[in-house]
Amino acid sequence: MRIVACIKAAPDDADITVGPDRTLDFTRAQPRIGAYDLNAIEAARQLADQVGAEVVGISVGAAEWDNTKLRKDALSRGLDSLVIVSGAPDADSFQTASALAKAIAELGECELILLGAGSSDRYAQQVGNQLGALLGRPTLNQVNAISLTDSGVRVQRLLEDAEQVIDADLPAVLSLTAGANVPRIAGMKDILAAGKKPVTQVAVTPVEATARQVSVLAPEQVDRRRQVVEGDPSDTAAQLAAFLKSL
Amino acid sequence: MTEVWIIAHDATGGNALAGAARALGDRVVAVSLGAGVLPGADLSLTVEVSPELPVEAYASSVADLMSARGAQLIVTDATTTGRLLAGQVAARLGGGPAHRPSVVSGDSLQVTRLVYGGVAVATDEVVSPVCVLVVAPGALASGQSAGAGQSEAVSLTPTSGLRLVETRAKGGTSVDLAGAKRVVGVGRGFAAEADLELARTLAAKLEAEVACSRPIAEGVNWMPAERYLGVSGATIKPELYLAIGISGQVQHLVGVNHSKVIVAINSDKNAPIFAHADFGVVGDLYHVLPELIKSL
Repeated sequence: MRIVACIKAAPDDADITVGPDRTLDFTRAQPRIGAYDLNAIEAARQLADQVGAEVVGISVGAAEWDNTKLRKDALSRGLDSLVIVSGAPDADSFQTASALAKAIAELGECELILLGAGSSDRYAQQVGNQLGALLGRPTLNQVNAISLTDSGVRVQRLLEDAEQVIDADLPAVLSLTAGANVPRIAGMKDILAAGKKPVTQVAVTPVEATARQVSVLAPEQVDRRRQVVEGDPSDTAAQLAAFLKSL
Repeated sequence: MTEVWIIAHDATGGNALAGAARALGDRVVAVSLGAGVLPGADLSLTVEVSPELPVEAYASSVADLMSARGAQLIVTDATTTGRLLAGQVAARLGGGPAHRPSVVSGDSLQVTRLVYGGVAVATDEVVSPVCVLVVAPGALASGQSAGAGQSEAVSLTPTSGLRLVETRAKGGTSVDLAGAKRVVGVGRGFAAEADLELARTLAAKLEAEVACSRPIAEGVNWMPAERYLGVSGATIKPELYLAIGISGQVQHLVGVNHSKVIVAINSDKNAPIFAHADFGVVGDLYHVLPELIKSL
């Protein structure tokens, strides 16, 4: 059995700086695997360990994956191998899903394809939904728990006001919730082993973009009064109460 | 005449969506998956759905129906089901959906979306022949909500591979943060779950809803995910937002910066939240809140 975990590396948003003209500077921002993508790796590893399956990580990307630290980080968290699919880092969800679909078809048999809740840069929460449609396989989002059954998987899915239990045939494409599991932290042994795991590159022809990007700018700052009080709590609380009553 | 298509999967949400969609065109056509005839739409194509399947099993037939009828602008809501339907329908029609966008211009359709955890806003011009929009509550100005209310029954074939075993209603009350006039937000400044009672008492006095920062919902799980504010959570525009024990990371701020007035209570005077607040109290929330509750 083979389980695929789809992941994306994006610039660490904590290190993106904003210029006076509201443009973004990425010089200090190192590529990092999205926090939600780690849920996909973790779920894949846990299921694989139950049945002795293999976990393949797939990521659509470009130069950011030349970063050996990034590769080791991905491979130390539970992947057995990694496939890098050529594609622009700012690809939209349909372009990313199309590239993943082609790479997965080349990979051959995959029983389960897992994704996180959303990427750290775009967070459209759509790559899994679109990938499943392109592969023509059962597809679900907001999957909170997965168990393997004799004929497929049984999942628990979170809706806004309810929880569903759904049986899905395999292969299936499932996008997880952020709370589905707690991703492991790699130990020294895992990091050392990661350097020896295979990384392959796949080139695919990209599809047309759905939209043309007009601009990417930091949001305009809202002017706030910025009145700050400090001191004795009964005093500051009274000032705050007066402020609230004045609204 | 611009025709806007919506995919409805429940009657209440479907009618709200029909009203919102009217902001984008003058005729609203709904594909209603088990949600009956929508009074808010001009035409409802009613589809009977199997109770043994999740409605998403109909996504590819919905796409084929829309393609056959020449739908070019398709809108879904931003619920879990709405998002999955949008992604699947868009993929079948050869494009990607725009996620929770704000529509800035309807001429050449321009939409905005948050990127990099809320650090920036990207503006896109839709160039695909078919456009699928996933709209959050409040993203479109909802216009006249009554439609012509015509209907036509349509039979669609579901795809196989998914079986709905059980649906359990979630305990607790649902919350409409997007529509709240006042919101009290709690963060990691609270040391224990039981202490949130302080915030709840304050919220009751202010007639406010209680919400939280991401770590409270996705870290310690003290509050349900739908009460969390921020880039991957809810976005609010209340008259008053009161942030208690929230430092004010950009991921949180993008969810609340459309509030008319922002008030912050935090023990760290260097917390970024104070730069984005109209009124700030530097102090220990365990001392300030009881005093504040007394004086209101």
